[in-house]
Amino acid sequence: MATRDLVLSALFAAIIVALGLVPPIMLGFIPVPITAQSLGVMLAGVVLGAKRGTISVLLVLVLAAIGLPVLSGGRGGLAVFMAPTTGYLIGWVFAALTTGYLSQLLVSHSQAGFVQTVNFFVAALFGGVIVLYICGISYLALVTGLGFSKAFMGSLAFIPGDVLKAVIAALAGRAVMVGYPLLPQRA
Amino acid sequence: MRSLHINGDSVLHRLPAAVKLAALAVISLVLFMIDNAGFLASAALAGLAGHALLRISAAEIWRRMRPFALIVVAVALFTVTFNGTAEGLTAFFRLAALALFASLVTATTTTGDFIDVITRAAMPLERLGILKARDVGLSIGLVIRFVPEILSRYEVIRDAHYARGLKPRPVSLIVPLIITTLQSADEIAAAIDARGIRSQK
Repeated sequence: MATRDLVLSALFAAIIVALGLVPPIMLGFIPVPITAQSLGVMLAGVVLGAKRGTISVLLVLVLAAIGLPVLSGGRGGLAVFMAPTTGYLIGWVFAALTTGYLSQLLVSHSQAGFVQTVNFFVAALFGGVIVLYICGISYLALVTGLGFSKAFMGSLAFIPGDVLKAVIAALAGRAVMVGYPLLPQRA
Repeated sequence: MRSLHINGDSVLHRLPAAVKLAALAVISLVLFMIDNAGFLASAALAGLAGHALLRISAAEIWRRMRPFALIVVAVALFTVTFNGTAEGLTAFFRLAALALFASLVTATTTTGDFIDVITRAAMPLERLGILKARDVGLSIGLVIRFVPEILSRYEVIRDAHYARGLKPRPVSLIVPLIITTLQSADEIAAAIDARGIRSQK
């Protein structure tokens, strides 16, 4: 792995940590604040692609595991990996991987700006919402013995917010691509 | 960024980190295999009693466990509602015990000890040519070094919005934050290579 790739992954991990520490950002049109950390996971895939995006998310989880309060709300330590919601944390890795892979597959520089944004949205939605919730809900269902349908119902309330984050990730991903392109291109 | 480690000299502090991690893995497996509410309740009590070794106040213990209390209680109530009281109690004690034991390992192990364990665990991967074990420590150091810098950069961008009479919006905050941060990657990478930090041996 080139030193530059390692540095990019580490810097993005630091961005994800920082997004967990800033106060929740208010959206203009709905009165609900969004916590930006899971947005950071989608952004890692959208901006850095599959490999480096996944490494940056893994780094955040390693920092949390070794006892640093890097997760939103100052959470950290091994206990976050022994909680009913641990599946969502494990899901972050696959969310960044899927988002990054799909971004590389779907988005190219020759596309029109609107098409790029839509493709980034598809990548973020599939990775950051669908894959993430499959991991989170399966883990919740298995660990607590609740069963899939009840675990799904318990998670339902959070899905609209995460779809909104996929929109923001797509807009931001396209803007970063214009300003400082880093996404590996498929030949 | 302050670690959740607590200084001390208890038996748990003196145990090697690898032993504590292995014990935590075994304990969590046992907790998942046994369904007896009485056993799980005594396990949770043992985890709580272990916190006495840390010599911290009850308020401090509560402050450390609070983020987990909410989700554990929520899941337990959900289970009581749908699967009955007995299963709800089992879920509550099992999840509480898991969080308490994990929190004990975190409180008694330093960040440096953890990094040593991870580096050693990564050695087989290095032999397979997947990664360099020493990169793990380097990357962790980089993240810790840059979080405060990114936070102050975030504040600068937000203040720039206010100075221009603009409301901070997610996209207009995050895009400049990502671009300015990642643009420094080349310089940092050059600095790391110039010092030969990643060179073999």
